[in-house]
Amino acid sequence: MNAVLDSLAFDLFPLVWSGIVTGCLYALGALGLVMIFKCSRVVNFSHGNVAGFAAFLVYGFTSGLLLAVSWGVAVLLAAVFIVAIAFLTYALISPLIQTSDLTATIATLGVGLIVQGATLLLFGADIVSLDLPVPRFATSVLGLRITGYDLTVLSVAVVTIGALFLVIDFTKLGIAFRAISSNAFAAEVCGLNLARVQVFAWSVAAGLGVIGALLIVPTTFLSATTVAAFMLQAFAAAVIGGFASLPGSLIGGILIGILMNLFTFYVSPEYASTFLLVVILAALNVFPNGILAPVRGSRV
Amino acid sequence: MTDLLRIDHLSVFYGAAAQAVEDVSFSVPGNAVVALLGANGAGKSSIMKAVAGLIPGRGAITFDGARIDGTTTRARVARGIVYVPEGRAVVGDLTVRENLVLGGYTVPGPARRSRMEMVLDLFPEIAGKANGGAWRLSGGEQQMLAIGRGLMAGPRLLLLDEPSLGLAPLLVRRVFDRLATIRAESGLAILLVEQNLAMTMRLADEIHFLRGGRLIGHKRTDELRDGAARQHAVDTFLGAAAAE
Ligand SMILES: Nc1ncnc2c1ncn2[C@@H]1O[C@H](COP(=O)(O)OP(=O)(O)O)[C@@H](O)[C@H]1O
Ligand SMILES: [Mg+2]
Repeated sequence: MNAVLDSLAFDLFPLVWSGIVTGCLYALGALGLVMIFKCSRVVNFSHGNVAGFAAFLVYGFTSGLLLAVSWGVAVLLAAVFIVAIAFLTYALISPLIQTSDLTATIATLGVGLIVQGATLLLFGADIVSLDLPVPRFATSVLGLRITGYDLTVLSVAVVTIGALFLVIDFTKLGIAFRAISSNAFAAEVCGLNLARVQVFAWSVAAGLGVIGALLIVPTTFLSATTVAAFMLQAFAAAVIGGFASLPGSLIGGILIGILMNLFTFYVSPEYASTFLLVVILAALNVFPNGILAPVRGSRV
Repeated sequence: MTDLLRIDHLSVFYGAAAQAVEDVSFSVPGNAVVALLGANGAGKSSIMKAVAGLIPGRGAITFDGARIDGTTTRARVARGIVYVPEGRAVVGDLTVRENLVLGGYTVPGPARRSRMEMVLDLFPEIAGKANGGAWRLSGGEQQMLAIGRGLMAGPRLLLLDEPSLGLAPLLVRRVFDRLATIRAESGLAILLVEQNLAMTMRLADEIHFLRGGRLIGHKRTDELRDGAARQHAVDTFLGAAAAE
């Protein structure tokens, strides 16, 4: 009995806690995927590679490889590049959407490969490390070890996601985004500039991906494929949300974070990818329209 | 009176072979209500969408003296041509108020707010549900919302595509009465598409009859006041199906 309690306190709670922290990052990735899917009907498979490229740019700008500027300046510069890439991708993809959503989706795979190639060309295949400029401290709350990194991730995620939901729920741009997502014809009839709203969505999505990448990389390391692999869990989070619900993908992210942690610890880290696939398939079968599907009136 | 809208030799194709509208020419004078009457598939919506810039057409479209064919829907909305689609195309996921904001998207804030007041005054049926989801509205209320959303852009020409579709006659009368009010107050011109002659005559000044993508006849409403003349027009242009 005591052993069970001990294992709860020492294993389960920390695992759930760190699962929530990582889950917020999956959610950031998933929100971007879902925003793009909602307004353009395209699954953006270049999301992870573009976010990974951004992390490498930050590395290149801070390490002296490309530049030697401060972390903040490097992030701003990388953001400019990433928004430009989002814009170019949209410009490339949007004529294809007219032909077929599937063609456009496959084209995003191509964009992802090109960006990954550029990453390899510029930065090589080596593994590098990229840390966050956050204070290194750790405190213990009710036996739970909470680090500066944890708090950074949580506060950045809360502020970012909160701001995103405010914009989508309460601004004119948000109304346009929701209108285009649910009835593009109606939006067109009203004289909206659909392309402008879609570019907004693609840019915000790319920005969310970059934030997710910069926050996840300190826990692992940075290589040309790490962030793309990270986006697989974001993809699973989006699937759990039904790929069309922003709150759903937030919940999906946190669920995936916790589930992956538990599986890795209690079962096996080797089969984590298999488990992720099983979760995706199970989600598609159990709630094909997303975990929040029965909730009518969800606005974002 | 000068024409607000002129359509010259308009043809609309869906693909290379399927021609929906063939060499149609007519005009809408300022502050007039002109109706296009015809059965399902006659090409009414295709004409409306071509005028709104939602689908390409061949021919010339002149609005307020300027050629507008080839411009985007957005540009036409900005000039004052607003389409109220068949089936309403209300965005169910948005609230009633948000749908109205959508209609006046490019209108500056203060003007948009006062126009929203005007629309909600005109349609008290939806004013009480302004903050609820538009999907909750009944068919008639959705039609009012669709028209109200069109009015939010401050149109000079409203393209109304079968506003009576699926509505009970009493409700249609109410909607048409409101339209008559708006028209009297704002000097709005309306291009109206309908299938039902009696209903159309309540609002329209003149009526064009459409069949198989071609205009086959034209009458002023006052020429149809007489029952026999009306029956003759129905027999000649619409066929038995539209005779109520
Ligand atoms: N998107 C489309 N693609 C192909 N054919 C269409 C399309 N829309 C309408 N049509 C065809 O064009 C003709 C006219 O349609 P429409 O303008 O909708 O008629 P109405 O509004 O008078 O009922 C019909 O034969 C219809 O089948
Ligand atoms: Mg029609």
